[in-house]
Amino acid sequence: MNGPAIEIQGLGHRYNGNLVLHDVNLSIDRGEIFGFLGHNGAGKTTTVNILTTLLQPTFGTALVNGHDVVAERYLVTADIGYLPSEVRMYPHMTAAENLTFFAELSGLTDVKRAVAETLDYLNCSELADHRVGSFSTGMRQRIGIAQAIVHRPSVLFLDEPTAGLDPAGIRQLRQTILDLNRDLGMTVFMNTHQLSEVSRVCTTIGVLNSGELIYNASMEETIRRFPDEKSLEDIYVRMEGTLP
Amino acid sequence: MIATVARQQLLSLRRQRVFLATLGMFVAMTAAAGILGWSSHNTIVRVYDQAVRLLAAKGQPAPPNPFLLKPELSLLSNMVIYVPMLGALLALLVGHLSLADDEITGLGRLIFSRRVSRAGYATGKIVAAAVALGVIVLVAMGLSIVSLLVANGALPGLAALGRLGLFYALSWLYLMVFALIGMTAALLSRRRSLGLLSAMGAWLVITFAIPQFTSGVRPTASLNPIVDPAGTSQRFFQITARARPISIAEQYKWASGHILVTAPAEPAWQTVLRAVPILFAAALLALAVVALVRRHDFSRSSNGE
Repeated sequence: MNGPAIEIQGLGHRYNGNLVLHDVNLSIDRGEIFGFLGHNGAGKTTTVNILTTLLQPTFGTALVNGHDVVAERYLVTADIGYLPSEVRMYPHMTAAENLTFFAELSGLTDVKRAVAETLDYLNCSELADHRVGSFSTGMRQRIGIAQAIVHRPSVLFLDEPTAGLDPAGIRQLRQTILDLNRDLGMTVFMNTHQLSEVSRVCTTIGVLNSGELIYNASMEETIRRFPDEKSLEDIYVRMEGTLP
Repeated sequence: MIATVARQQLLSLRRQRVFLATLGMFVAMTAAAGILGWSSHNTIVRVYDQAVRLLAAKGQPAPPNPFLLKPELSLLSNMVIYVPMLGALLALLVGHLSLADDEITGLGRLIFSRRVSRAGYATGKIVAAAVALGVIVLVAMGLSIVSLLVANGALPGLAALGRLGLFYALSWLYLMVFALIGMTAALLSRRRSLGLLSAMGAWLVITFAIPQFTSGVRPTASLNPIVDPAGTSQRFFQITARARPISIAEQYKWASGHILVTAPAEPAWQTVLRAVPILFAAALLALAVVALVRRHDFSRSSNGE
């Protein structure tokens, strides 16, 4: 498949009369790990909701793998995985039952094998027969990633994936994202507040401020452009203009 | 995909404590209906036997056994009350749980980021509720047959079994109305407690308020069928009584009474007609659930409580 994994042109969304996303233009190449930064309410989740077809844009277009998120919803959803923030699965069902459900929804034929392979890939086969309601946040997050990749999508959307995780969990998640990108060639679109994770994992970043994309470049270029700043945090604060 | 959604919902339902507790209560009440019927049957037969012996000792003829004059299924007349009371509450819960989890916990976001059609998803949920209530109704029917076997000392005849089947089929349809109300309320409310409360409000109106209006404020209208609804001098209630054919609680009780032969006789077509508003309500609510799921914003999760 040619062309960028994600292409957004003039994208906007109005919610209850308020413009929460304004004329966003963005292109993300295949195989990138894209970090989408911005303060709370900047419009990051709205963007992900549009890209995952959960929300229709008020104006503009968004293509995932060359397919329009509105006109070709089924083609888009066939090849994306999504892990929302504070993921909750069916608590009364086991991890394997939850994964089986989502694998079947994705139209997989050999569901049992896909579930076993995914759990094995994420080193959490031992959780398969336990009910999700008894899991810690970290365990739930791993099963959440498993449901997002069980059908081996080419684009993975993660919305604040480190929320609620302890340092060990964050470290494990970081490694998982890198593995998915390297082993399975997944393009990763990640909304996050964790700037330390972005600098360690992401290959490109975008910064959203009050619904407008104010910055978009590769990590290498970003470091080149801001030679005086010591960390991504300093760069980010300067970009948002929150420092005098 | 409909089967996948329905299967998941049934599995989830089977493991929810609140559902199991309400189901246990409904099954217990069904068994209680049988035990009460058997107990009153037993007491009356014992008194009758004593009376027969006494009369025989005095050389007087004994009257016929009262149970030979009563219809075979009259022992189950309490079920006509338990279904709209406990059964309808259980059905509300089935409907509410079908959609509340996906709606409130944000699981809908995961589901609809897949190749899932909204109409198919809604249909799967409705199918799951239909199957769950079908199983519950079958269990209740099984318990009723056991009760009749214990009370009468023999299995009910084919005609009685047919009537029992019809009664439980009508009960299933009636319960489906409440399951669909539970679903609708869950979709219209972003808070779990509000969704459940508004569904229970609808249950109160259908089961208690409307029968009062359509029966001329007869105090027993919520429990028993009222033969003469317009027998009131008040003009207002004479008008509201005309809405009686659309009072599904009353139509259910009347139709059930005729099926179980515990209400005054009426032509069969009239009993069939009584099921029409129930069927119409179920169809209308099913369409409403599909339409609401289609336009619902599943991109946001709410806080639940």
